[in-house]
Amino acid sequence: MKRLLELLKDGNSRTIEQLAAELGTTPADIDRQLGFLEHIGAIRRVSFSAQKTCGGSCKGCNPAECRGCMPKNAAQNMGEMWEVIKQH
Amino acid sequence: MSATIALLGQPNSGKSTLFNALTGLRQHVGNWPGKTVEKKEGTFTYKGDTYSVADLPGSYSMSANSDEEVITRDYAGLEAPCFLVLNMEDVAKEQGKTIDAAAIEKKLGIPVMLFSATDMKAYDKFYSTLERALKSKSHLDVSSLEKEYEKLGGYAEIKEQLADNAPSGYTPMWLTVKVLENDKVVSAKLKNTLDDKTIKKIETLAKGGADAVAAGECKFAWIDEILQGAVSGSKSVTKLGRLDRIYTHRIWGKPAVVLTVLLGLIASFIPALPIMGVGSLVDMLKTAVATGLEGAGCPALVTGLLCDVGIQSLSFVIKMLGFVFGVTLVFGLLEEVGVMARISYVFDNTMGKLGLQGKSVMPFLVSFGCTMGGAAGARVIDNWGQKVLTIALAWAVPCGAAWAIIPMLSTVFFGAAAPLIIVVLLLVMLLHMWITAKVFGAKLVKTEDRCGMIMELPPYHKPKWGALFRYVLGRTKDTFFRVVKVVLLVCAVFWLLSYGGGSDESSLLYKIGTAIEPVTMFVGLPWQLFIAFIASSVGKEGAVGVITALYSGTSYAQGFAEAMSGAARAANLNELLLANVTRPEALAFIFAITFNLPCVVALAATYQEIHSVKWTAKIALYYTATALLLSCIAYHIGQLIW
Ligand SMILES: Nc1nc2c(ncn2[C@@H]2O[C@H](COP(=O)(O)OP(=O)(O)O)[C@@H](O)[C@H]2O)c(=O)[nH]1
Repeated sequence: MKRLLELLKDGNSRTIEQLAAELGTTPADIDRQLGFLEHIGAIRRVSFSAQKTCGGSCKGCNPAECRGCMPKNAAQNMGEMWEVIKQH
Repeated sequence: MSATIALLGQPNSGKSTLFNALTGLRQHVGNWPGKTVEKKEGTFTYKGDTYSVADLPGSYSMSANSDEEVITRDYAGLEAPCFLVLNMEDVAKEQGKTIDAAAIEKKLGIPVMLFSATDMKAYDKFYSTLERALKSKSHLDVSSLEKEYEKLGGYAEIKEQLADNAPSGYTPMWLTVKVLENDKVVSAKLKNTLDDKTIKKIETLAKGGADAVAAGECKFAWIDEILQGAVSGSKSVTKLGRLDRIYTHRIWGKPAVVLTVLLGLIASFIPALPIMGVGSLVDMLKTAVATGLEGAGCPALVTGLLCDVGIQSLSFVIKMLGFVFGVTLVFGLLEEVGVMARISYVFDNTMGKLGLQGKSVMPFLVSFGCTMGGAAGARVIDNWGQKVLTIALAWAVPCGAAWAIIPMLSTVFFGAAAPLIIVVLLLVMLLHMWITAKVFGAKLVKTEDRCGMIMELPPYHKPKWGALFRYVLGRTKDTFFRVVKVVLLVCAVFWLLSYGGGSDESSLLYKIGTAIEPVTMFVGLPWQLFIAFIASSVGKEGAVGVITALYSGTSYAQGFAEAMSGAARAANLNELLLANVTRPEALAFIFAITFNLPCVVALAATYQEIHSVKWTAKIALYYTATALLLSCIAYHIGQLIW
């Protein structure tokens, strides 16, 4: 997992398959690593879709609380994305 | 024999299935004391004994230290007999995996069984394993896990501090790892039980020691070691599909997706053309209706409003709808089959070069539908400067309304060359975004070290045509009603403004128009088109209303006024436009409205997201200026061509 995080520091995004290839392991192993990294708060899933707070209308919801507000039906089949959380 | 059984496991591992099958109707749901976490408990009898079961919240994907996790791990920490159920045996079999439960059992020191929670016949095995675990009081052998942990910096030292005075109920190993993981709950617990000096010591050791990632690696190394030799047939190397090998290629990826999008957009003209034909038919209706009304003695003003405003607008809107339908279909299809996700992957690096996060691609893609959606979508970007820049660039992406009007106008003016115009507009859009990023980027974003993202691309799949068409038709319908309102209103207002009673030249609008024309012609726009450009700031469809009113109404450009003196009402708007607007002017106009600010609603949405009047105004002014500049350039290039 250290190597995974290290790899991403070059700024390039990668798919799970690419990570598996570069780290010489299987996509299933990468899945496991992502699960753990998410759990300890080293990475987080990027959520583009509307959050529960505003029901997706995004009218009058507080942008500071509501982190994702894509319109309804937009970006349905975009897969998943994780971003690395900067450690301070 | 009797016992309380706690079910521990990851979400979706089948705990609820097992719980329900065991307890049947004898279960109740409550809350854990003092927590808002659901507690599921139930009982079952086996061989005359009653057992109770608790279904614990899945422990893994919950964030560390959440209520759920603390409840679950308090159970996990208990020194109770346990056994391991490897669920979904049927799935493993299907995947051609064989699992040697006995080998795992030997390494772990607890009973291990293969199981299918959905198979009612498998439960006898469950009960017998349960009995076996209770009889043998089996405990997990963690010595090999500890061997891994001992490699961690600071592990041995911290454990030594905890050896004699650890809070009861927890093993020193577990506590030590939690300390290294910087676990808040455990830290608080230790502060209650240990003296300050020991705490200080532990804290310094932890700071210099290994972190959560390293501890996790130990855990995985341990698991791998246990599975070594016990699982076979699992190492299936996934091969990338042929398409993905192209799309995710470092060099060919970009041209491949750009080509895909361009071909898609050109293809979107195919469904649009028949609908344009329908629009022209409606246009032809105008003459018949006008003659009929005039024959019936209808006042010229009413006839004009009905025909020049009503029917003419409708004809235009119908023509636009063909493109709304075509473009929505193409983008919907690209998303549905999974290409859209590849686009966001391919342009991730480009975002970095613009000083943006990879996430910014999504607001851009959404902006093809509606800039407002793009602005709201930029909310996922935490950094304010990057958010402002993302929205500023998203404005350059032609929105749904632009996609309706621009191909339609291009087809009217340039016929078969229209797709070429669209391609050029898209290329200019990319250039525009690049320059805009350079213009605003310096102030908004600092070059900070960027971390790549991890993407799980959705698998390609065949589109669900039914759902896709329902979506596309829904969008087309929505657009129709929205656009028809704006176009009719704008058209009526401008038509009336330009209605000069007897002569067109007497209308105020005409006077103002001709007065400003020397200036507007500098950017290649005759006064009518310039007013349409201004109207397009309100909403792109507004431009169509203005064109309809000013060209099909009574105040034509001078040259045409003469032709109109006869029975020339027959001429349809296409011909009127072609007769009055030169191709360079048309090209200038198309560029001007494409790159004008998207609409007032998008302006408001932008302000709502970035909370800065200064930057909202800056971006708006910048777009108005660049639109006119592009218009000027297009006009002069057009003059060279035609
Ligand atoms: N094929 C198969 N599916 C299972 C088995 N056990 C559970 N499932 C399915 O896996 C999914 C998740 O199970 P669930 O009990 O909700 O998991 P929980 O989150 O751990 O409670 C459900 O759709 C179950 O029907 C099994 O042994 N074989």
